[in-house]
Amino acid sequence: MASEIDLYTQYPLHMDGASKAISLPPSSAYTSTQSTTINSELEELNTLHRALISLDAPNVPPPPMPVNAKRGAQIAKLRESANTAYRKNNYAEAVRLYTYAIEMAISRPGWEPVALAREDLSGLYGNRAQAQMALQAWPEGLTDAKISVDSKPMGNVKAWWRVAKCLAEMTRYEEAKTFLLKGLEIEGRASDGAKELVALLEDVEAALKRAV
Amino acid sequence: MVDWLSLAVPLAYLGVLIGSLATFSSLYRKRKAQKAASLAPWFPAHLQRDIYFSLLHLDPSSQSGKKTPNVPESVLKAALLRRATEDIRRVMALRNQKQALSVLLQRGSVGDDLWQRFMRAEKEMEEEVRDVVSEANAYAPNWGQTIFQSANEMMNNDIYRQRIKEHEDKLAEEREWWEKKRASMQEGFMKELNEGDNQKTSAASKSSEPATHSKAAAPAAPSVQGSDDDAVLVEADPSGNSQASPGGEKKKKGKGKGKK
Repeated sequence: MASEIDLYTQYPLHMDGASKAISLPPSSAYTSTQSTTINSELEELNTLHRALISLDAPNVPPPPMPVNAKRGAQIAKLRESANTAYRKNNYAEAVRLYTYAIEMAISRPGWEPVALAREDLSGLYGNRAQAQMALQAWPEGLTDAKISVDSKPMGNVKAWWRVAKCLAEMTRYEEAKTFLLKGLEIEGRASDGAKELVALLEDVEAALKRAV
Repeated sequence: MVDWLSLAVPLAYLGVLIGSLATFSSLYRKRKAQKAASLAPWFPAHLQRDIYFSLLHLDPSSQSGKKTPNVPESVLKAALLRRATEDIRRVMALRNQKQALSVLLQRGSVGDDLWQRFMRAEKEMEEEVRDVVSEANAYAPNWGQTIFQSANEMMNNDIYRQRIKEHEDKLAEEREWWEKKRASMQEGFMKELNEGDNQKTSAASKSSEPATHSKAAAPAAPSVQGSDDDAVLVEADPSGNSQASPGGEKKKKGKGKGKK
């Protein structure tokens, strides 16, 4: 038994001398599915390796807490400039800036707490949804709002409202109603944002009645 | 004086008894161990672990003449981190399954084999985790204490990003649907307008017009064919428009609040 734990499968890996990238030389020993899984795993490994190299001396990911605040500050800055663009009714520019901020938040290294990424991204996607809606790009707004809701279902009334609004604009009233009810269930009818949800729900129900 | 002859019989009896019991026990145990070893493993091959060890044992001389230096430590650390991430996933899976499995076992819904496989996987994972911790401590002091925390976050981040990607992959589909829908809605509008005009001019041409229209359109494109059904939805559209105006107000309201 004990010997079994020391067993492993040796892969004939190859390391590139300069970039230190690991790869699996093509060979007939593996089926195509096997080699794709191995290669995708190696890809992940190389990405992680690059992230590790950029770290400080021991090249070991720091513990999740406390968090390095640098990236957070950068994201906040981008978000602020995007908000300004939105306030100036420059929606296309706002979408572009939000997209940058989202990219930066997504590229946050994996060992940082996931809660942080969720918090950032729910806000950013929510705001981008708002900008997309101002551009009347309903499918894009719907997707962004859905991601926002998925990232942070609690205390995210605006995103719930945006999902339903986009659906209603695309005449998908049934789905809009489902989302509104779900949002109300999660947020609670007593919360301050719930009024808007209820108002939209009434609109949607009226539209449903008219459509029948 | 002891009667050796009369004592030999019980002694022989005892000897045979103990001997046969011992053989049975050793045979039984051996077979059981063999059976346990031949049971299918709970998890598929641990790819990350294999890669880690492959890298650790990567033989520089085997690389056909090319002078490749030893694998740098940072690569090994990355590989170890990947391995820890996969371990976390497995440990979580075991933890989730244990409860259900033990209930099933008590009810007799699953066989003993399954439970043995499970126990073996659990033991193996324990060893594996211990091994990873000691390896991590060898690379950097005290890394063993945090490597699994990091790995856990990495796994959760992976899952989360996967979800985002799923949503974003749906976007193209949504957009295509909406383009089609909007086109058919506009067409329905135009048709309604035209029909209104036709009604004024002549009733006879009106009855023939839709017939020829549908004949021409049916083979052309499926989207046009759908416009007849959409005409029902189009009736709902003015309501959607009228709704848009209160919505517009709300949008402005949200604008101020939308920022954090």
